[in-house]
Amino acid sequence: MNNEKQLSQQESLRLITEMIQKAKGSHFHENGTSAILWGAVVGFCGIMSFAQYTWKFSIGFDVWILTFLALIPQIFIAIKEKKNKIVKTHEQAVLDAVWVVYGISIFAVIIYMNTVPNASVELLAKDHIQLLKKDTLTGEVKPWKPFVLSATSILMIIYAFPTLVTGLARKFKPMIVGGIFCYGFFIASLFTSSVYDALLSGFAGICNWFIPGIILRNRYNKAKKALHV
Amino acid sequence: MFKELDPILHSQLRLAIMSLLISVKEAEFTFIKEKTGATAGNLSVQVQKLKEVNYIDVEKKFVDNYPQTTCKITEIGIAAFEAYVKALQQYLKV
Repeated sequence: MNNEKQLSQQESLRLITEMIQKAKGSHFHENGTSAILWGAVVGFCGIMSFAQYTWKFSIGFDVWILTFLALIPQIFIAIKEKKNKIVKTHEQAVLDAVWVVYGISIFAVIIYMNTVPNASVELLAKDHIQLLKKDTLTGEVKPWKPFVLSATSILMIIYAFPTLVTGLARKFKPMIVGGIFCYGFFIASLFTSSVYDALLSGFAGICNWFIPGIILRNRYNKAKKALHV
Repeated sequence: MFKELDPILHSQLRLAIMSLLISVKEAEFTFIKEKTGATAGNLSVQVQKLKEVNYIDVEKKFVDNYPQTTCKITEIGIAAFEAYVKALQQYLKV
């Protein structure tokens, strides 16, 4: 491009339009690594939880701890992607913020789910109240610790949120479909026991992130190959 | 009465740089070079000119021992670009 060329008004307008279009066409840079990682981890944890409940075996630790361990490779992936990114769009900046808020929200809900039962018992005890549960068959009465009912359903609503936002903003159908499926799993989980909620949560991870991640990865590889041909 | 077109923006490469930067939050020098098809030397000179009038911010850093230059449009740059487009519209009666 020659800087010294004198532009007519029409040429100026054409150049502005052309450059804006070129910038627009550079948005889809993701290689799908993060989506594959989280889809695989959440999918595995959900299905493993279901398997343990159903077939009565234990792997010796809470399988959902893997979601915390997955934060380690995620940090490395994020650093690498940031280094390789040659442009950041306004849309990308907003979507990054959505995913950060999603991460904080998931963390907050997990703290909520683990804190509320004990805190409730203590607060009620201060008011000289104890919750009891009664076995209607034997008549036995035991102290009862309240818990967040169908907690996995709440997690699934949060899973769907950033996925659907990203899908709609990017017009990326696999994430739109994944998000809609996730809301479907949420509705189904309202009527199922926690054993099946875990399985649905695993399916949500696979539909929300794993499958769209694989599609993104294929697109990225194809684009990379086309660039080097 | 027609407004005079901003001479800083009324040049092919500088206008191309500003049009790219108005569309994104920030972009690396390599991205602008790829999209404009300009030579590194020419691009460098024009980026410097835009920086001197505070139309863009330029951040230079080293990533893995390689220099990396990131450009970002400023508030002044956005206002100038908008004024330029308005002036163009006046000329073209669009």
